[in-house]
Amino acid sequence: MEVVVSPPTDKDILDLGVMAAEQETCLPVKVCYGHILTLAKNVDCLFVPRLISCQKDTYICPKFMGLPDMIKHSGYNLPQLITPTLNARERRNSWPHSLVRAARELGFSRRMAEAAWYQARQELSLYRKKLQQGHTPLDILFSRCQPDVASDHNLLLLGHPYNIFDEFVNMNLINQLYRRGYRVITPEMLPPRLIEQKAAKLPKHLFWSLGRLLVGTASHYLEEGSVSGIIHVVSFGCGPDSLVGELLERRAKKVSQMPFLLLTLDEHTGEGGLITRVEAFLDMIEWRHVS
Amino acid sequence: MRAYLGIDLGSVSTNFIVLSQNGEVLANIYLRTQGNPIQAVKKGLLRTKSELPSNITISGVGTTGSGRQLAGIMVGADIVKNEITAHGIAAANEVPGVRTVLEIGGQDSKIIILRDGMVIDFAMNTVCAAGTGSFLDRQAERLGLPIEQFGQLAMRSQNPVRIAGRCAVFAESDMIHKQQLGHSMEDIARGLCQALVRNYLNNVAKGKDIFPPVLFQGGVAANVGMKQAFEEALQMEVWVPTQHAVMGALGAAVLARRKTTDSAKSNFRGFKVSDWNFDVKGKQCHGCSNCCEVVEIQGEGQTLARWGDRCGRWSEQIPMQTA
Repeated sequence: MEVVVSPPTDKDILDLGVMAAEQETCLPVKVCYGHILTLAKNVDCLFVPRLISCQKDTYICPKFMGLPDMIKHSGYNLPQLITPTLNARERRNSWPHSLVRAARELGFSRRMAEAAWYQARQELSLYRKKLQQGHTPLDILFSRCQPDVASDHNLLLLGHPYNIFDEFVNMNLINQLYRRGYRVITPEMLPPRLIEQKAAKLPKHLFWSLGRLLVGTASHYLEEGSVSGIIHVVSFGCGPDSLVGELLERRAKKVSQMPFLLLTLDEHTGEGGLITRVEAFLDMIEWRHVS
Repeated sequence: MRAYLGIDLGSVSTNFIVLSQNGEVLANIYLRTQGNPIQAVKKGLLRTKSELPSNITISGVGTTGSGRQLAGIMVGADIVKNEITAHGIAAANEVPGVRTVLEIGGQDSKIIILRDGMVIDFAMNTVCAAGTGSFLDRQAERLGLPIEQFGQLAMRSQNPVRIAGRCAVFAESDMIHKQQLGHSMEDIARGLCQALVRNYLNNVAKGKDIFPPVLFQGGVAANVGMKQAFEEALQMEVWVPTQHAVMGALGAAVLARRKTTDSAKSNFRGFKVSDWNFDVKGKQCHGCSNCCEVVEIQGEGQTLARWGDRCGRWSEQIPMQTA
């Protein structure tokens, strides 16, 4: 059996997604529709898991939970869908359990499925180690490296992975920052356990897993003071981030006097507006360094 | 005498300022861009030249605004800066100690927060353009008023009507409704100013600490009704600088002066550029599925710059002049 992965987002994928998806959904869901429809033409079977939770006592964004249903009822002629429910909120082994069952439905033996799961885990942990050495996923995928710049030129880039690592959607943000002479730090570079520790200090349990990732990472770097500024990338209309973003912004600006920039993305975002904001933000940081 | 030229090529207006070495304004031009930025730059250069005494040499040029790259390529800029930084620099230059800058231009509005002469925070309107110059222009036209009189009219009102300012389209229908109920023009004009200020404070200035001194700049600052509405809402005095409409150009000129004091030679191509033939060619690149629209700028038959490609395949063939 051959596994086909959709190509990096491009104009066609975005246009396809914007046309097909519900008007009210956020940009990442529209992009996801675009990828699914692009794949659908060339495959016999589509893997669209119902992602509910990646870790105990947390939820991933609710749009992921509804994704298989949204796709099923989109009215497009789609190949067979495989939609295992992945929910680690209550049961730790929900992921391997559901994935192995999905593999068995496709005709694989339990042994083969479990071996694949085991191998995937190993690959993932190798990949995470590389991330924690200070590489972004794009550096690893395209064998690039962070610019060699002064140690005080670090920016913390916060956002959901599908926004900050999709170069089409964010108009090459990471490269723009590299070109201006900044190293980019993302939540993936910290050990998850450390992020958890910091996020656990919130007065109330934050149950959005991506929100925990952002808050925990921001707390760490605000305490350490090893970054010159924070850029938070959000999708227009993101519910969880509207609260998490406010929390981050208040902490950064009011408690730590840390330069903070909120960048909102949607399909209408023009490159001009994004560049203007990023340039002004970097000017602001450099102005501080001078005086 | 050495002087510095600042150009702000905006969506609605194109402004030129010439500053002397000690900060005196030698020329000040405000033009409508009218959808033709190249023509606006050429016309502006011609008018600037005619306003300058003959003993002036331009020793540095800065450009800003949404068309800053185009203007920079055309005239040969020493520095190309975004409009947020340029406005912040101009405000700090004009009123040392300024802590808040409210700026409303033709199609965007921004707030800049400064402390001790340094920009520490800023925001720009995102999805909504209610309250910007273009919207006010349109409403004045609809009421049959010259935009210059709009503010004065609003000032005469004793009982402003409440207009929904959340969205430009709904603000317009609400205004029509109020007109049909028989409210006077001045009450509607003042109500609209208040609605736009509310919209600005809720959207652009959301969560910012607004401390005095407050400067109000950009084209809309000429509207005394808007100034009064800001003062009422903020409960503090709001200053409109004399050069309010050309603050971006002023900031660009100040930046050019800073940039070129040490380096001797400016990149300025000279005022002769106003006679040059500029040509803009757009073409779609078919190198990948992104199908970027690449723009090529030619001056006197020579390719000066290309941009618009995501990967740099076209733009990197010609070194771009940027800051």
